[in-house]
Amino acid sequence: MRERLRRFFAASFPVDWDQLRALGAEPVPHHLKHWWWCLGGTPLYLFIVQVATGILLTLYYVPDPSGAYESVAHITRDVRFGWYIRSLHKWSATLMIAAVFLHMLRVFFTGAYRWPRQLNWCVGTALLATTLGFGFTGYSLVYEQLSFWGATVAANLVEAVPLVGHPAALLMRGGAEVSGNTLTRFFVFHIGLFPTVMLVLLFLHILLIRLHGVTEFEFPREQVAPAERTFPFWPHHATTELAIGVLLMYVLTILALTLPAGLGPKANPQVTPMHIHPEWYFYFSFRLLKLTSLRTSVYLTLALGLGLMGWPFLEDALHRWLRMPRDASVVVGVLGFGAFLVLTVWESLAG
Amino acid sequence: MSLDAKRIVIAVLSFFFLASLLLVAWRETLKQRAEEEPKPIVTATNAACVTCHRQRSAGLVMEWEASRHAQVGVGCVECHQAREDVPGAWRHEGVVVTTLVTPTNCGRCHEKEVREFSRSHHARAGEIIYSLDNVIALKIAGTPGNPADAVNGCWQCHGSLVRFQRDAGGQIVRSGPEGRPLLAPETWPNSGMGRLNPDGSKGSCHACHSRHEFKAKLSRSPENCGKCHMGPDHPQIEIYNESKHGIAFYANRDRMALNKEGDWVLGRDYAAAPTCATCHIAGYVAVTGEIKGNSHDVGERISWTLRPIVSTKINLVRFSDGTQDDFPDTRPLPAVGATVDTTDYVVENETLVTRTVPRTVASVVPWQTRREAMQGVCRTCHDQAFVDNFYAQYDSLVTLYNEKFAVPAKQMMDDLTAEGVLDPRSPFGEPLQWTFYELWHHQGRRARHGASMMGPDYTHWHGMYEVAKTFYTEFLPEVVETAARRGRGPEWQAKVAALLARPEHLWKAGLSPEEAGALGQSYRQRYGPKSEPAAAR
Repeated sequence: MRERLRRFFAASFPVDWDQLRALGAEPVPHHLKHWWWCLGGTPLYLFIVQVATGILLTLYYVPDPSGAYESVAHITRDVRFGWYIRSLHKWSATLMIAAVFLHMLRVFFTGAYRWPRQLNWCVGTALLATTLGFGFTGYSLVYEQLSFWGATVAANLVEAVPLVGHPAALLMRGGAEVSGNTLTRFFVFHIGLFPTVMLVLLFLHILLIRLHGVTEFEFPREQVAPAERTFPFWPHHATTELAIGVLLMYVLTILALTLPAGLGPKANPQVTPMHIHPEWYFYFSFRLLKLTSLRTSVYLTLALGLGLMGWPFLEDALHRWLRMPRDASVVVGVLGFGAFLVLTVWESLAG
Repeated sequence: MSLDAKRIVIAVLSFFFLASLLLVAWRETLKQRAEEEPKPIVTATNAACVTCHRQRSAGLVMEWEASRHAQVGVGCVECHQAREDVPGAWRHEGVVVTTLVTPTNCGRCHEKEVREFSRSHHARAGEIIYSLDNVIALKIAGTPGNPADAVNGCWQCHGSLVRFQRDAGGQIVRSGPEGRPLLAPETWPNSGMGRLNPDGSKGSCHACHSRHEFKAKLSRSPENCGKCHMGPDHPQIEIYNESKHGIAFYANRDRMALNKEGDWVLGRDYAAAPTCATCHIAGYVAVTGEIKGNSHDVGERISWTLRPIVSTKINLVRFSDGTQDDFPDTRPLPAVGATVDTTDYVVENETLVTRTVPRTVASVVPWQTRREAMQGVCRTCHDQAFVDNFYAQYDSLVTLYNEKFAVPAKQMMDDLTAEGVLDPRSPFGEPLQWTFYELWHHQGRRARHGASMMGPDYTHWHGMYEVAKTFYTEFLPEVVETAARRGRGPEWQAKVAALLARPEHLWKAGLSPEEAGALGQSYRQRYGPKSEPAAAR
């Protein structure tokens, strides 16, 4: 019986297992043993957690102003383990965005965006933008006061973008003002558009990594024997990734237990709260808005975003035309990320 | 790190992750337990009752199942079980029960509450049988054969004297195979506060703690008291609704912790507003931080009696047998240890009789101490200056009513009775007696209650305005007319004139030229020329 089953599956799935084992055991450079090289897989893992918990939340969520807030309250209060799934979803979002930031920092400061990997850097920046879009739309779906008014402020910021701002804001809001249409759109963006874009970009990102291969790094103080210059992806690197995955689930669960997702007052279009603020990853932009004007902050944010995405090309141009040393990128990176941190912390303390 | 080391790391992390999932499951279980309605406990003793009555009186059983009693296994038998010698007891499905659950039954578990309640004015509410109100309901509005006004009106709040249907031989009429004693329909159903029960107890806990759910939330809510404490003669609920306290309550009902189990303490469990129960019964956090407990003796914190014609401060004299009496401040206080003759209203042969009972004084609580107990509640939210000034305002209103209207009016009525103008056997034979009754019993009470509970409209427009209008335009003229019909007109004309010559009544003579001028000027300034009243021109 067992032999018959084995022959059936071998014929149905004609996989060359030896080839698969060889593929899995592909040698990866020694430097991947450093933990910060797992930061690329971390957001992918957290995205899987987001998809799984997001699907569960969608079973109860009502994407309409008349029921959105109440359905979230129902999930949190009444549905079995609803509070846990919602808290996992919330914290996984935060950790995913943080992991994307850290991964980008790693790639930036190790210069892994340079030729011929410039396009992959652009794809990665687009992945960052998509992840931020996930965060923004997801938070808006809760339909609390801060959600509603945060979306209003964001739409006003988008409106100020030159040329495309007005149509983009209309597309975002589904009208002249934040309304029920906005919630429906954000829901579609969150569970339809952004996941599709994310999957396409992830496919491109991984494809480009596979095509280019992983850049080999050498650390001056590390003595690596020739035989240890590479190690097999499976099971060694995969095991590391698995360990990180289990650690992430443990951390997420502890966060869900100790700092579960809460619920503020329900959105009221007639009442503007005393303090409006976005999620933490938009603090830097919010602080910029407070320090400058609407237009200035929008232009600055756009410039920073475009500068970030185009940095490989910008660095090349600066090196070629102004003789800027490549190492100057480190200074630019430190200053840029430093400014981001300062603005973020400033906004959080000003609260 | 070697592969084996990584595997160990994964194993350890997996263990921690699984342990955290156990915590998640535990937390979810706690949450589910908190949300589930505790299931009623039907003990073997009560199982037969519940099974049968779930069909015969389904609503009653459902209410009980939702009660705290059901959660702790207190069921039908625990409350309805009676001794064979209790009037109205009968053997029902093998258990000796009584239809009436009285404070005696409740006191088996709630001893403190019953003890406090039994000495309170609530328990004595049924003793109005001897009052003018009962004369109105029984004799004036009712007939000797039909006390329906008292049955459906007064007694439903004050409590009836519960009787059984009796045959010609005076035996209790029984019905059905079990011989259930039948209660006289004019006396039951009744859940009046001071119900006089066949077992000798007074009161009905159900008056505040409605059966069969006995929800604390209900007894803490002002609407509960408003069933009885309302209307033209004691509009406490209307005054409360008008007051800032009432407004705060209705705006913040969901912050009042009305469903809280156990003690309900102002300043600890809630602070948004006081209800009737807050000030008159419930616990509060004193200025020292100590928690003062509740008391079902609703008069403990009362320093004025606003019920009689002339209000007095009331001192509390407690006797060694646990009973107590209010002594108006016009009556000398007995010393501790002294023997005092007290009047007991007791039921004998289904009739309320009075007995003079000598009692030994155990303690005296002066009205100032009672006021301090009430002020303790006020101090939870207001500072001492606020409270002192409020009491000064309140005292001044009661004094005004007393001195300007009540005392002289009562004196006149007493004098007219003494002179034979009014017949004491016919308390409502003359229009003057009705006028006087409404003056103090309705209008005067509204004014005093309004001031006591911060209801300005009741204090003035429904209160002192009507007192003044009735006094000057109806009462005084009727005094003279009534006296005149007995040939004493000129004498009483002179007495009324002498009263009106007192400084507080001099306004009747009209405004002085200066006052008229000032009044006219203010009208012209506010409303334009020729707008002043004629008297001010």
